[in-house]
Amino acid sequence: MSGQAGGGGETVNLDTLSVQQLSQVKKQLDEELEHLTSSFTQLHAAQSKFRECLRCVQQQDGKSSALQEGKQVLVPLTNSLYVKGSLSSASHVIVDVGTGFYVEKDVKSAAKFYEDKTNEIGANVKDLDSIIQGKTNNVRVIEEVLRQKMAAAPQQQAPQA
Amino acid sequence: MAEVQAKLQALSEDYQKLQQELQAAVQSRQKLQAQRTENVGVQKEFDLLKEGESIYKLVGPVLLKQDKVEAEGTVKGRLEFIGKEVERTEQQIKEVQEKIEKKKTEIIQTQSSAQAAAQAAPSQVAAKG
Repeated sequence: MSGQAGGGGETVNLDTLSVQQLSQVKKQLDEELEHLTSSFTQLHAAQSKFRECLRCVQQQDGKSSALQEGKQVLVPLTNSLYVKGSLSSASHVIVDVGTGFYVEKDVKSAAKFYEDKTNEIGANVKDLDSIIQGKTNNVRVIEEVLRQKMAAAPQQQAPQA
Repeated sequence: MAEVQAKLQALSEDYQKLQQELQAAVQSRQKLQAQRTENVGVQKEFDLLKEGESIYKLVGPVLLKQDKVEAEGTVKGRLEFIGKEVERTEQQIKEVQEKIEKKKTEIIQTQSSAQAAAQAAPSQVAAKG
């Protein structure tokens, strides 16, 4: 049961660590995991946002279902107030590329833009997923060693702590 | 004995303060990194810009049309600035880490000398624990 904290770098034999050190390591790992998991959720949210955008600009048989010239639309002025309008141009959309910049693109390249974004985030999600799995594994191993130590030396605990 | 305890207290307070400093620095580095990623993404997007596609910049509530060269310059300037800031923050993190290490050894030294003193006067051990 020599748990090796993987993930590159130096490997430390967990059996040589004291209970205090182990619980410290576990605490640190727990914090990291929490942070990573929240990033994971955020990435997922971002991905589904981009996917929604992609769905809007995606064309079927050369035509987008959401974008049709002359189509009647309601333009929101506030959350609860709308004016009627019609789409004057269904061939171009304005895409938010980040940091306050917007680019006017045709529907096709907008679709490509969102596709790329979705894929990029998908790759990140995958990377993050494997990292999270590795960390979860480490936590499990440490918990195991910690339990063993606690069970092996319960009488030595009191003066040590 | 009380003197040593007061010293230890002061040391650990300093240590905590340093740790907070480190956390703040790490956080700001993270923020900078996020900004850098976003700006790099925008720059990449500008590089992929096709003929007939125009750039707008959000100024308050309106979109203003912007020259590609100008927009690229803005993003490049931002990236340069962020790069410098990252460097500065990294330096800061390193300094704080060094300080923390120093404090740590100081604390350990004080502790062990206190322990040695306590062993010399065993009646004090209970009060210390």
